[in-house]
Amino acid sequence: MRFFELLLEDPATLICAIIATIVVLAGLAFFVANFRLFQLVIKNLRRNLVRTMLTCTATMVLVFVVTMIWTVLFFMDLITRERAKDLKLIVSERWQLPSMLPMTHANYLDPTHPQFLPELKGLYGPDDFMTWSFYGGTQDPKKLTPQDLVFFFTMKPDKIVPMMDDLQNLDPALVAKMNDSRKPEAVLIGSEKLRSIGQEDAFRASGSVRVKLTSINYKDIDLEVEIIGVLPDGRYNQSAIMNVDYFNAAFDRYEREKHKPHEMSSKRLNLIWIRVPDRETFDRVGGIIENAPVFADRPLKVETASSGISAFLDAYKDLLWGLRWLLVPAILVIMSLVMANAISITVRERRTEMAVMKVLGYRPNQILRLVLGEALLVGATSGLLAATATYLFFNLKWGGIPFRIAFFPVFHIPEFAMIWGLAIGSITAFLGSILPAWSARSVKVSEVFSKVA
Amino acid sequence: MANPPIMHIRNVVKSFARGGERIEVLKHLSLDVPEGEFLGIMGPSGSGKTTLLNLIAGLDKPDSGELRIGGALVSAMSESQLAAWRTRNVGFIFQFYHLLPVLTAYENIELPLLLLPLGSSQRRQQVMTALDLVGLCDRMHHRPGQLSGGQQQRVGIARAIVTDPTVIVADEPTGDLDSRSAEDIMNLLVELQKGLHKTILLVTHDPRAAERAERVVHLEKGKLVEAEMLEAQAASTAGDTNIRR
Repeated sequence: MRFFELLLEDPATLICAIIATIVVLAGLAFFVANFRLFQLVIKNLRRNLVRTMLTCTATMVLVFVVTMIWTVLFFMDLITRERAKDLKLIVSERWQLPSMLPMTHANYLDPTHPQFLPELKGLYGPDDFMTWSFYGGTQDPKKLTPQDLVFFFTMKPDKIVPMMDDLQNLDPALVAKMNDSRKPEAVLIGSEKLRSIGQEDAFRASGSVRVKLTSINYKDIDLEVEIIGVLPDGRYNQSAIMNVDYFNAAFDRYEREKHKPHEMSSKRLNLIWIRVPDRETFDRVGGIIENAPVFADRPLKVETASSGISAFLDAYKDLLWGLRWLLVPAILVIMSLVMANAISITVRERRTEMAVMKVLGYRPNQILRLVLGEALLVGATSGLLAATATYLFFNLKWGGIPFRIAFFPVFHIPEFAMIWGLAIGSITAFLGSILPAWSARSVKVSEVFSKVA
Repeated sequence: MANPPIMHIRNVVKSFARGGERIEVLKHLSLDVPEGEFLGIMGPSGSGKTTLLNLIAGLDKPDSGELRIGGALVSAMSESQLAAWRTRNVGFIFQFYHLLPVLTAYENIELPLLLLPLGSSQRRQQVMTALDLVGLCDRMHHRPGQLSGGQQQRVGIARAIVTDPTVIVADEPTGDLDSRSAEDIMNLLVELQKGLHKTILLVTHDPRAAERAERVVHLEKGKLVEAEMLEAQAASTAGDTNIRR
C-alpha cells in the first residue's frame, strides 16, 4: 500500500511508471504477435555486437548517474512534501537553534503527564508524542575523529516503532530489551556506525558489546552503553538510539555527586514530536502551543516536519535545483544523442534491406516500428539493468548512496529505481531514434533495382 | 494469344520532375501479358524499364492510364492496398539477391509470409515447398554469407515464389552470376514457368537470358517496340548500307 501511495505522490515516478507499463505491454504484445519479427530485431542488434554493447554501456552509465541523483531528489521531495494527513509536528525553541529546552516543557505536551495542557486533550494520544535529546559521545576523547563519534537520539523506547520513520518493522524483542529497567544502558546502533567504531566483530561474536563514551556535548556526562542490536539499513546507519531514562539518570547522578545540577540540565530537551491526523488539528495544536503562557519564558514554535526539514535544507537548495533542472536534463539529452547516433548508423547501413522489405510488402510504419523496437529494446533493457545493479550494489554494500547532505548520511535507493531505469532508458531511446526511424520509413525502393549503365 | 491477359497495361504515362522540368519516362505505354507467359523486357539505360517495374509491382502509380494485374486495378489502389496486394501477387527476384544477411535461407524465404495471416506450421510448409523447388533444402539453415552467388539467387527465387504470386518479376537475375550459374537460374525460371504456370517478366541486358523468354519487348525512350520490328529495322538499315556500297 505504502509503495502505491509513494508512487502516486511523486509525479516523476508516476510518469515513469506509466511509461514503463506502456513499454512493457507494447514489448510483450510485439513479442507475442510477431515473434519472428522480434527475432529479426534481436538479430539486427547482434549484427554489430560492438556497437550495440557500446550503446548499452553508455546508456547504463548515464542511467546509473540519473538513478543516484533521483534517489537523493526523491528522498528530499518525500521528506519535505507537505502532507494532508498524519502530519508530524516539530516543536522547537523559537529563538534558539538547536533548541535547548528544559525537560519540564515536555510535561505540558505529554498526554500521559499530569501537567498535560487541558486544551490539547483529545487532539492526540500517547503514541503520537515523542521527545528527543541528542547525546554525542566518543570512544577516544583525545582524537575526536568522526569515526569514533556516536550520535544518539535519546527517547522512550516505546516511541521508536510508532513515531520513528522507517522503524515501524523494528524487531519487538529489541524494543523490549531497551525497555528492560535492569538494563537501561542498552542501545541500538546503525550498521555503519557499529563498523566505524570498530565494534562490529565483537558484536557479531557475542551479540552485544559494551562501549565507554566520553560526552562531547555534555561535559562530564560520560556513559557506558551496551550495544544490543543494529538498526535496519537506511537513514539511521550512522546513528544510535538510547533510552532517555538512562540519559536523564546520568544528570541525576551528576547532581548527587557534585551537589549541584549540571550546567546543561535545564537545556537538554532538543525536540518534541507530535503526530496529528490532519491539517486542521495541526493548526489548532500549533496555535495552543505557541500561545500557551507556560512557555512564555522559553517560547516555542511549531512547524510540520517537512517544513522544518525544508528550512534546514535551505543551504542546499541551489545544489538540489541544479541537480534536478540542469544536470539530469543534460544527461537525458546526452542519452538520446547516443541512441540517435547508433540508430542512425544502423539505419544508414540497412537502407537497401529496408527497401527490399518494402518491396516484399512491408508497410512504412512497420519498418518504422522495427527500428523503434530495436532502440527501445536496447534502451529499456540497459536502463533496467543499470538501475537494478545500482539498487543492489549501493543498498547491499552501504545501505544506500553515501552522499551526506545535512543530517542525512546515506540515501537508500528505493525500489522505484527499477521503474526509473526502465522508463528513462525507454524514453531517451524513443526520442533519439524517432528521426532515424522516420528516415527508415521513407527509404526509396528504387535502391533495390538494378543500376543500368 | 491463347490465354487471357494476366497483365493489362493501357496508355500508361509516367513522368518525373527533374531540375525544374517534367520528364516523361513512360509514354502511353500499352502491354498485354497472357497468363503463364515468359516475357523478356530489354532496353537501354534510361528507357524506363525500372519505372515500368515499379508500376507493375505497385511501388509507384502512373500519372494516367490503367494497370490491371490479375484482375485487380492496381493503378487505382492506395499505398496500403498496394502493399497488401504486392505481398500476395508479386514475387521479386533482384540482380543482387538482396537477402537479409542476419537471417538464414529459411528465414529469408519466410519473410514475406510474416505479413500474411498464416500459422507457423502453414508457413513452414510453404517455405519447405519453395526450398524444394529450388533444390536448397540442405542449405536452409545457412546464412547468405555461407552460400554461393547461385545459391543466394535460388533463395531469392524461393522467396519470390513462396507466396504463390500472380506474377514474378525478375530484374537482371543473372547479372551478378557466372555463366554456369546464370544458366542454372534461367533453367529454374523456365521450370517455374512451365511447371507452375507462372507468369514471369524478365528485365535483362543479357541476350542469352532473353533468348529463354517466349517473347521479348524492347523499351526505347518510354515506348515499347516489339522484337520483330527491331529486326526489320536492323535489316532495313543493313540493306541501305549495301546499296550505298
